[in-house]
Amino acid sequence: MAKSQKGSVNRRGFLKGAAASAAAGAAALTGVAAIETVEAQAPGAPGGTGAGARGAAPGAPPAPTAAQLARDAENVAPPAVAAGTRAANRPGSDLMVQVIRDLGIEYAAANPGSSFEGLQESFINYGTVPNKTPEWITALHEESSVTMAHGYGKAEGKPMLAVLHGTIGIQHAAMAIYQAYHGRVPVLMIAGLDPDGPVAQHNAADLAAMVRGFTKWDTQPATLAESLVALQRAYNEAITPPQGPVMVVMNSRLQKEEAGNLAIPVYKPPVIPFVDATRAKEIATGLMTANNPRINVGRLRTPQGVNLAIELAELVGASTSTSATGGPMSFPQRHPLCGAGADATYDYTLGLETNGVQASLISANLGTIAAERDTAHIGFSGIQGGGGGRGGGGRGGGAAAGPALDAEASLPSIIEQVKLQLTADNKRTIADRTAKHAAANQTARVAAIQQAVLTKRAGWDGSPVSTARIYAELWPLIMNEDWCLSSPSSFSGGHHAQLWDHNKPYSYLGGQDAGGMGYGAPASVGAALAAKNRGRIVINIQTDGDLNYAPGVLWTAAHHKLPLLTIMHNNRAWHQELMYVEYMAGVRGRGTNRGYIGSSLRDPFIDYTKMAAAYGMKGEPAPISDPKLLAAALKRGVDSVKKGEPYMIDVITQPR
Amino acid sequence: MRITIFAIVLLVVSMIVVNAQAPAANQAPAAGAAAAGRGGGRGGARGAAANNPPPTSPVTGNAASGKKLYYDYSCYGCHGYNGETGRAFVGNWNNLQTEAGFIAFLRLRADQNPRAPSTGMPNFPVNTLSDAQAKDIYAYIRAFKSNAPELKDIPTLNAIVASANRPYKK
Repeated sequence: MAKSQKGSVNRRGFLKGAAASAAAGAAALTGVAAIETVEAQAPGAPGGTGAGARGAAPGAPPAPTAAQLARDAENVAPPAVAAGTRAANRPGSDLMVQVIRDLGIEYAAANPGSSFEGLQESFINYGTVPNKTPEWITALHEESSVTMAHGYGKAEGKPMLAVLHGTIGIQHAAMAIYQAYHGRVPVLMIAGLDPDGPVAQHNAADLAAMVRGFTKWDTQPATLAESLVALQRAYNEAITPPQGPVMVVMNSRLQKEEAGNLAIPVYKPPVIPFVDATRAKEIATGLMTANNPRINVGRLRTPQGVNLAIELAELVGASTSTSATGGPMSFPQRHPLCGAGADATYDYTLGLETNGVQASLISANLGTIAAERDTAHIGFSGIQGGGGGRGGGGRGGGAAAGPALDAEASLPSIIEQVKLQLTADNKRTIADRTAKHAAANQTARVAAIQQAVLTKRAGWDGSPVSTARIYAELWPLIMNEDWCLSSPSSFSGGHHAQLWDHNKPYSYLGGQDAGGMGYGAPASVGAALAAKNRGRIVINIQTDGDLNYAPGVLWTAAHHKLPLLTIMHNNRAWHQELMYVEYMAGVRGRGTNRGYIGSSLRDPFIDYTKMAAAYGMKGEPAPISDPKLLAAALKRGVDSVKKGEPYMIDVITQPR
Repeated sequence: MRITIFAIVLLVVSMIVVNAQAPAANQAPAAGAAAAGRGGGRGGARGAAANNPPPTSPVTGNAASGKKLYYDYSCYGCHGYNGETGRAFVGNWNNLQTEAGFIAFLRLRADQNPRAPSTGMPNFPVNTLSDAQAKDIYAYIRAFKSNAPELKDIPTLNAIVASANRPYKK
């Protein structure tokens, strides 16, 4: 396809830099051909769009022509095809969908664009059961698409797909990509590149470059065969620590070309670094010979990792810590071994994705890929170099000594070694220790709850509603359900951490990862996609400022009938920022009485019951500021989402 | 005099507490910066059910005027509309024992110039909030009552306590 090899020096130079990375080598090589293709096409793209491009001043992007806009507005009929013929009997994009299906991708979220019309058509029409695993999810904004995948990735520990349209879709998505990158959440993205497309500005020579600093990996395949391998490789890169968003730039011509007899490549899962047999035996021996072993559990990669951590803790009778009240994929909070245990003096402590004492198994952080992804050049804060350690990506924890070894991948070897060391004698000791830990942890938990409820009474009957009362009233309604709290809870007091039991890998999905607003609602929709076919309901305690970035996700939830209960933490402000500016006014001696300017959502107030209704979401008919009305409204909401009908409750709350 | 000294001691203690919550000025925004910044939770809910009685010292201001000032100066932003959520003072009357102590607390917070954003108590110099206005706010705050029923009278919270004894189910 590439007729010219006369790439510009600058672009070649850029590619050479990208090729310096071993990991990106294949991407760069395949990218050359695609880039030449774009250069050959850009000045005079078909469809009568060339004149505008040629007439523009150097360096100034040409304005879209009337024909371009007409096509984007869906006013262009497809070309006539002679009866009995088809342009492609086995379109390339059918094979792409098959690869995505075989990878177990459940959903693809997209806001439509002409650069992936071939792919979209395959999603919705290809296969004996089209548009099901993966299912095409209609998004109203690319940031929503990627953040849905972010929320889904946290809940399930695996990627879903977001499909983006050219330069404009990628830039809309950029903030969400950045946030998923910092969260080290696996997200698969396909960006459509359309050299034959109607709007030249939607294409770029190196499309992924604008997000290369905060994606883990990207490639731009030049052939259909390469594109299938690229999807598999991208998936593997996304799920290999440090996990992150990855992008495959997919030329629309590859989507539309005839595949002929091209075979689907055989998928090979990635090999994730894990402990060698010697170290596994050392750790197993340490746990087995200790009088009081301890396992600190951070955030594992997948639910299977959590299961393995439980198995190990139960085998050795170790008390455990958990990060389940702060984020996903950690040890179940109410497991009998979770807590300080009967004796808080530990003589062997293993850390799983967090620091231990005698041993720490911590997977690679973002710092390990900073150089090859240009982050060092940009200098993003919050990403530290080095080997192991959870320091990168905004999650705490110092770097561990030694190489980065993934805890989840290491656990099978350690468990195997532990089993070899089990005897009738030490099994009795372990059972005895387990029983003592269980009793002590239960006593501690009851005491903690008794103490917590005393503090949660504050402002119980006050109006507007206290944030503590929202969490408290919710718990009896959901405690016997399979639930997921999808929204960051720090602004609304985080009361679930003291009141609720976080026993599932997805009980609480944690914060925004890069502190970016506009996250809670779309991440919750992603979590609800994960929940939809699993009998799970999703709770989103939604801050008002956050929802207003891209509220169209409410429509996506309604349209796809997602089990999502949205409860507004409506304090009518960006309250953190209100406090900041008030403090600054105080520092400067100018008074706080104008601090609301630019940090409040008032004059007029926003009515989220009407917003939800406009998007077709069921909900309470009016905002709730009387706390006595809350419990019944929450019950109606839980009942609705259990039936697959998302529901909105606008609660006027105390600021914090 | 004795009360004044007591108030100043409380003031100093509370300032130390406030400062302890702010990150060091030279601390680079690194790990956890997101949590402390826009995505963060400093200044978050600290509500506590009433655990000490309100002061009984004299009140001279106008509570109705104070109510307007409480909103205009966004006091509710940190202390809640009823003074019992967020940085609650219903039940935590430390800096509010006396009118004079409250005014001193407002004034003595000057010259704090943090590099990092702070959700601590702002400074209120006299040019931005007069003594008379401060007394009005004090009068309004002192009228706040606890809206926290006894635990036995809140079925929801009792249900939560009962739930703590549920067996673990994976």
